[in-house]
Amino acid sequence: MDLGEFEADNSVSCRLASAIPDVCKTEDCCLGIDEAGRGPVLGPMVYGICFCPVAKKEALKDLKVADSKTLTEAQREDLFRKLDEAKSFVGWALQILSPNTISTSMLQRSKYNLNALSHDAAIGLVQFALDSGVQLKEVFVDTVGPAEKYQEKLSQRFPGVEVTVRPKADSLFPIVSAASICAKVARDHSVKDWNFPEDLGEVDADYGSGYPNDPKTKAWLLKELDPVFGYPQFVRFSWSTTQTLLDSRAVTVHWDDDEEDGEKAAARQNNTSMLSYFKTGSKTSAQQGNTHQTHRFFTERRLQSLATL
Amino acid sequence: SSSDSAVETPKKDDSDPTFIRLRNPSTGTSLYLLGSGDVQLYEVKAFNEDFHSWFIGQTVQRDGRLLYVTPMDPLYLLLPYLIKAGEEGKFQPVDQVVMDEDFPACTRLLSCIRSQASLHHVAEEKEVGSQKFQRYSQERTMEWLKKKAERTVKTLRKSNISVGEGVKSTTYVRVKQESETQEEDYLRYAHGLISEYISEDLSKALLKHLQLPELSSPKEVEPPSKKRKLTDKPLEAGEDYTKFNRSDFSRKPPKKMSAAQKTLAKVDKTGMKSMSAFFSPKGKAEKK
Repeated sequence: MDLGEFEADNSVSCRLASAIPDVCKTEDCCLGIDEAGRGPVLGPMVYGICFCPVAKKEALKDLKVADSKTLTEAQREDLFRKLDEAKSFVGWALQILSPNTISTSMLQRSKYNLNALSHDAAIGLVQFALDSGVQLKEVFVDTVGPAEKYQEKLSQRFPGVEVTVRPKADSLFPIVSAASICAKVARDHSVKDWNFPEDLGEVDADYGSGYPNDPKTKAWLLKELDPVFGYPQFVRFSWSTTQTLLDSRAVTVHWDDDEEDGEKAAARQNNTSMLSYFKTGSKTSAQQGNTHQTHRFFTERRLQSLATL
Repeated sequence: SSSDSAVETPKKDDSDPTFIRLRNPSTGTSLYLLGSGDVQLYEVKAFNEDFHSWFIGQTVQRDGRLLYVTPMDPLYLLLPYLIKAGEEGKFQPVDQVVMDEDFPACTRLLSCIRSQASLHHVAEEKEVGSQKFQRYSQERTMEWLKKKAERTVKTLRKSNISVGEGVKSTTYVRVKQESETQEEDYLRYAHGLISEYISEDLSKALLKHLQLPELSSPKEVEPPSKKRKLTDKPLEAGEDYTKFNRSDFSRKPPKKMSAAQKTLAKVDKTGMKSMSAFFSPKGKAEKK
């Protein structure tokens, strides 16, 4: 699998796709969706679709594709090669969501959660297949969140396509298994030799599986922490594993959307409470007597007089 | 011009610019800078806003302040000393008047190029032999400050600075034309700016001298003592929010949380596995 396009800039989301088999543009097709790399603290989350004519479902079974989790890495590589060789009737496409995309989505001011990211990646891939001329009739998806709601969402989004959302769809429908293999192989490849765009000098490549409970991953996270910047973009900052480490070992950083109790925050930001404008006259004169009220020309521009440097 | 650079002005002598603390007529103490052998005075102000830091070369500066060093008329800082001496009603040489135990550096103000030459704006002068004597004059000072205010108004207009009062006294009745009112807004704003550089007494006197009516404060209204809670009632919405009504659902996070916990609490974790999921028995773990 050639991940060159993603590796050229692994800070953003990237779509990779096979050529569309001609037969998929004329015959009714089925399509499976699955993901890989939902849980790890390191590396991208990959969404994959696989599609083939409904009439070729049996041929797909003959390839003996199975749920990617029940296969060894070598078996997955082998199956992906077979799928790629079956290009006369099987097509695939991938959406690689970089760890940086995940971090910035989940930690931005208006939060964009992992489920929404997943749903949008899946929808984007189905739309890509439709836009490419694939005659989609059936879509099979492993569920993310409540199956019923997800199925309703996808059905509304794609009228005319029969959508089936099932838990464990990857072991029930070969086309979903095929999609899970594509996603998992891409995820493995991208993590194996992650190209760190940061200028880090020698980086320890022994980071394990990337799952938060992997001792190698934990040790790597402890070792690679920079007190100011935290981690390279390879790490998902929105994971509690990362946040806990940053909190205990990195410099504290305050953002202006940090939540604090109202009055305390206001005092720290030198904001005047609205209520102070309604204070009684005696208090106002007392204030004027003791403390100088800086003119609004300066307060509006956040300019302060200094007594020391 | 000499005001463009605090560092590169033609030097009278070899002394570097120095930061000094002087009596600020309005606030007490402030930092100033004397440049090119005490010839030029600058005030030092800092842009200071929360949640700012600097990257400087290969270092991080936690303090996101930006310092401004801008030219200043030394007469503002000499005024408090002249006023105090003026209470005695005598003509005195200025170098006997400008003395301060708390701010000994104040004598250096007299070396500033504008100081001696502009004393006549705020004081009556007498010359006996080669010696000059001064006596503070409120009248002259008011005229001088009025000119300052008028010049400030011109600059405010040129700089397009919004001077309108957002909130005006409820008892204040507009009788003038709108354009005149605007003129008054400018003058009032200029007065406010100049008041940053003079004592409160002078500020009040200047307000009268500029014939600006005092703004009276609005009628006292006691504010509600407590903020109204926004979350007293259960939410109602088209989507399923019933979980908010469960007894175990608490809207507020636990009182004591670390910074990271607070940040994390805000992350929408929908769809993420919990840490414990990775340690649960195999059978359960496989179920996604």
